[in-house]
Amino acid sequence: MVLTFMSESRQINVSKTGVSKLAIVALAIVFAAGLFVVGFDQGHVFSLVYGEQAFADLYIHELTHDMRHAAGFPCH
Amino acid sequence: MKTSLFIIIVLISGAFAGLIHGTVNFAIVEPYLDQAIGIENRNLFESGEEEDTLEFWVEYEGYRVWQKSGQILAGVILGTSVGALYGIVFALSRNSLPGNNDVKKAIVLAGIMWLTIYLIPFLKYPANPPTVGDGETVVLRSMLYLSFIAISGFAAVGFYQLSKKFKSNKKLVALIGYAVFISAVFFAMPENPDEITAPMNLVTEFRIMSVLGVTSFWVSIGVILGILWDRLKSHKQPPHSYS
Repeated sequence: MVLTFMSESRQINVSKTGVSKLAIVALAIVFAAGLFVVGFDQGHVFSLVYGEQAFADLYIHELTHDMRHAAGFPCH
Repeated sequence: MKTSLFIIIVLISGAFAGLIHGTVNFAIVEPYLDQAIGIENRNLFESGEEEDTLEFWVEYEGYRVWQKSGQILAGVILGTSVGALYGIVFALSRNSLPGNNDVKKAIVLAGIMWLTIYLIPFLKYPANPPTVGDGETVVLRSMLYLSFIAISGFAAVGFYQLSKKFKSNKKLVALIGYAVFISAVFFAMPENPDEITAPMNLVTEFRIMSVLGVTSFWVSIGVILGILWDRLKSHKQPPHSYS
């Protein structure tokens, strides 16, 4: 009985996503920040500069008001 | 590639799709917002909270212009934000998506995300125009809405991952698993606590326009990112050889 071993050479194309972790982190930050600004800010962002007055002025809330309603975010 | 090029095409795609979304909303949703705010103003006059004076209308016009002008700007910001999430998911799932080119793959993913993180949550917690919504419940409603979106999105990913363990009928397993799970969540989650006091035909027409607006975003981002990705070939990696 003769056993023949064949040397098999094959090429496999490994298709990687090629996405760096840095890109994912950067885009995740953009996602979270943008979503908060448009969907949920009630003066929080400007309060970092203007203090409590920002919660009364609601500049970002008013600026994003129409999109909040139109995109389905809870408002009022 | 450049990490910077990948980030740039994702952000540009989101911003353009958001611009389209904002513009569509400006054309088809704004008339309903005006109607609803008109009802809101009448209710304020009738309840005595505000008086129908020139001063009121001057102030009203001032912030209404600000709100309307924000529709498109907010569209760009929201589009860039949601586009960033879409870009991450596309880059990570591109090899698994059906379609023989990047445009088709991008559109398929946009359709999946439109269904799982927009339409199904919308069916449970539909958009409402001004006059509908109690300020006292906005935090609760926000938590419910976000929770449902997160549950639906993670469930879609989870059932897809789970289906990989099956040897056959993978798509069917993922689809049925997700459908059963999200149906259970749909009925288990609390209802929107606010009563609808606006005319129902106004609310229904507003909701239809809202869906059309958001749908314009998902169609746009699928096409734009798909084309940019295809042209710039951002995913190309040199082949690895195994001997």
